[in-house]
Amino acid sequence: MSGAARPRLCCEWLHACSGCEMALLNSGELFLGLLEQVDIVHFPLLMDHKYQCPGGSETKREKFELPRAEIGLVSGGVASKDQVEVLRTMRERCQILVACGTCAGHGGIPALRNQWTAKQTWRTVFPEDERPCSGEFEPKDWLDRVCGLDELVAVDVFLPGCPPRPETIVEVVAALAAGQQPQLAEKSVCEHCPTVRTGTGLTSVRRFLGNADFDPQEPDAPMRCLLEQGFLCMGPVTAGGCGGREMPLCIDARVPCHGCYGPVRRQGNPLLDLLNILVSRGIDHRAIVDKCSLLKFSGAHGQLRPNG
Amino acid sequence: MSQKSKPIIIAFCCNWCSYAAADLAGISRLQYPGSIRIIRVMCSGMVHPELVLQTLNKGADGVLVVGCHLGECHYLKGSEMALARAEIISDTLEDLGIAVERFQLVWVSSSEPERLVAAFRAMSERLGIGRAADNGVTEAGQ
Amino acid sequence: MPQMISIHPVTRIEGQARIDIQLDEAGQVADTRLLIDALRGFEQFVIGRPAEEIPRIVSRICGICPWMHHLAAAKAIDGCFGVVPPPTGHLLRELCHLLAHIHDKILHFFFLAAPDFIFGPNSDYSVRNIMGLVQREPELAAEVVRMRQLSLAMLARIAGKATHPVAAVVGGFAKPLAERELPHMLADGRILLDFACRALDHAKQKIFIRFADEEAALGAITTGFLGTIDGLGNLRLFEGRLRLMRPDGSVSDFAAADYDGYLAERAEPWSTAKMVYARTWDEGFSLDIEAPRGVYQVNTLARINVCDRIATPLAQAELEAFRARFGRPAHGMLLAHWARLIELVYVCERVLELLADKRITEPMVCSPAEPRAGRGVGQVEAPRGTLIHDFTTDDNGCIVRAKLIVGTTHNIAPMNMSVRQAATTLIAKGQVDASLLNRIEMAVRAYDP
Repeated sequence: MSGAARPRLCCEWLHACSGCEMALLNSGELFLGLLEQVDIVHFPLLMDHKYQCPGGSETKREKFELPRAEIGLVSGGVASKDQVEVLRTMRERCQILVACGTCAGHGGIPALRNQWTAKQTWRTVFPEDERPCSGEFEPKDWLDRVCGLDELVAVDVFLPGCPPRPETIVEVVAALAAGQQPQLAEKSVCEHCPTVRTGTGLTSVRRFLGNADFDPQEPDAPMRCLLEQGFLCMGPVTAGGCGGREMPLCIDARVPCHGCYGPVRRQGNPLLDLLNILVSRGIDHRAIVDKCSLLKFSGAHGQLRPNG
Repeated sequence: MSQKSKPIIIAFCCNWCSYAAADLAGISRLQYPGSIRIIRVMCSGMVHPELVLQTLNKGADGVLVVGCHLGECHYLKGSEMALARAEIISDTLEDLGIAVERFQLVWVSSSEPERLVAAFRAMSERLGIGRAADNGVTEAGQ
Repeated sequence: MPQMISIHPVTRIEGQARIDIQLDEAGQVADTRLLIDALRGFEQFVIGRPAEEIPRIVSRICGICPWMHHLAAAKAIDGCFGVVPPPTGHLLRELCHLLAHIHDKILHFFFLAAPDFIFGPNSDYSVRNIMGLVQREPELAAEVVRMRQLSLAMLARIAGKATHPVAAVVGGFAKPLAERELPHMLADGRILLDFACRALDHAKQKIFIRFADEEAALGAITTGFLGTIDGLGNLRLFEGRLRLMRPDGSVSDFAAADYDGYLAERAEPWSTAKMVYARTWDEGFSLDIEAPRGVYQVNTLARINVCDRIATPLAQAELEAFRARFGRPAHGMLLAHWARLIELVYVCERVLELLADKRITEPMVCSPAEPRAGRGVGQVEAPRGTLIHDFTTDDNGCIVRAKLIVGTTHNIAPMNMSVRQAATTLIAKGQVDASLLNRIEMAVRAYDP
């Protein structure tokens, strides 16, 4: 296969943790296979392509120069002005833009910051005795909140997950490289969950301060639904697909789902959806400590805001 | 959105009681503020909390859910569902950074147009005073 | 003419960073800065959350070492609630910690750092990476990829989710290890140990021999070191006491919970990344490369320097050989890579030790916890260095204060010194090219930031 004919792949990370990039590498041999199908032209974790050539000529140039590519993969939300520029450049240079990971689609964990202003956060992170010598908060570089990519540019494909399942990332990129529309799971975590549901039992919710009830001698034997055990499992309101055809990953670890794939429908609000499920079963939702935690993966799009 | 001079209030009215009351209000020539937009739903219990949130996020200043009095629901349990859902909404709006007074649940039977109009007026007056900030992205510190 | 040179982004590191080099009229280096700009705000937004949720939130600080944040937080929250995990829960946590070290070390050494040595810093950027390695040494690349997969698969067997894990819970671990998994795990562990030993031999023959030249090109800096040891002075990664070593080799040991008395954070006006310095040395803080004050480094070289010995035989033999050659403390910038592979051998040996422990498959893995007010400090050695999580809870068991010192934070100061040193040595009369700038990046890469 000639190198020039392969679709180009351009990867960037913004307000991210590099977990999505790791997930891509974690696909292991699939990743090696993907290298035969696409040409990576920019990928800060793995290769030395810079925003500008060294030496710096005097000609007017953009702040961020990125190569043209057929497929662009962006992980992370957007929290600074530089990130806005990188994102806009990516949009301009890439034919298909993929929002890779829950942060890119819904803000992810970093968007929990949206419950405070940037200034409040800055003051907490830099208490007075550790503050930079120059002293006060300078807002010039930051946005006041963490945004999802689609709040700023058009996004073609949303690939949720924290991180997305490695195989799924490769499948999506391979499908796009082949000119096809990628197929993504559209149902909730519960659709893929093998735990036993009886429709009874749920009378209250409690904090996850002791392990779930399952046979410790046979840790992989069937287990009762964690929500029915009284734990705040977010499976019903969370997009599925984390375990592929297998068990959802957190359930495999015998831990309740905490919503890392974001809402089932893109516009959904997991907090209201889950509370709605609880009230319809007659459960007092006031037992939940810190309800906003239910939005911990989807705080962008104005879902979480500074309180007061 | 920022150009808007008058508030907009969306009232989800149930088909059997409160929408009939709105009809009667019209027939009786009762006046209510122009900010009210009525959306007919079959039952107040079917208004999902997310619908309320979305309505507020998309620019409505206030949302009213209007249903039959408890025990008088055409579908028997719909009003109770609406009440349970209203509790979650009220409890959650504050956490979501939205003023609680922008949402209200009201019971109105088909023979109580005055009560409906009074609820419309009350909310309109309450919201006419100020408006929560819009959802635009602004720079930090502004 | 004064000129500003930027390396943006610094690549093949595990995060986002930029290097700015200011040249003066004569084209000599006037100033350098390594900038890591981000206002992530974890210390803010964990406030008010139920403490038992914290290990699953803070894992998102880093997608490459989520296990370390996950476990440090779990330990800290145990401390807040005053609960002690049962022995098996503790062993499973350590096992996961070690397995996470394995895939990280393979990633860093072979995917990120090795291309500089295999292809040379002068090679073209488009091949000087893992993709180029796949072309040039397909068998090595395939094996490296397979070994990473293997350690990740072991993690998934124990803990379900391997990246951004959830299995360490307050009071211990969420799920016991099934007896029938053990033979597979042992077999896989032996494969990894064998690979680790071969990787170190391979690196000694093919890669480390280039170090002498590169070190000479980069120059050296002198700093102190911080790492973790047990009561006998053995290298430890999951738990133990901290040991702070001065550049001359004298040491002071302390419990992680007392970190505040020994270390302090400060911010410089030009960076949002805080720096940590050794408060206990009472000499203030300065990044002057001739006479640094308060600067120490963490990461593999630091750990190898502070420990008296390693408790596993193969790694101990490698440590002795390393010391015989470079002394203690060893100071070269690139030696961290060598130390990394010695640690890889230790980690694999320790995995086999843990799997041989009879208690590892016992069903009792978690002690029940009650929310309460308290303070807990959790510390582990992450691949990037000493990681400290310090949380305080209220009566309801929710977080009221959080302080996080991550591995890279300790290293911001020495990395800045290394960049300064490398730039000063390499740049003369304003002459700069791509390979020279890559050499400066190599100084950063060694710290595995």
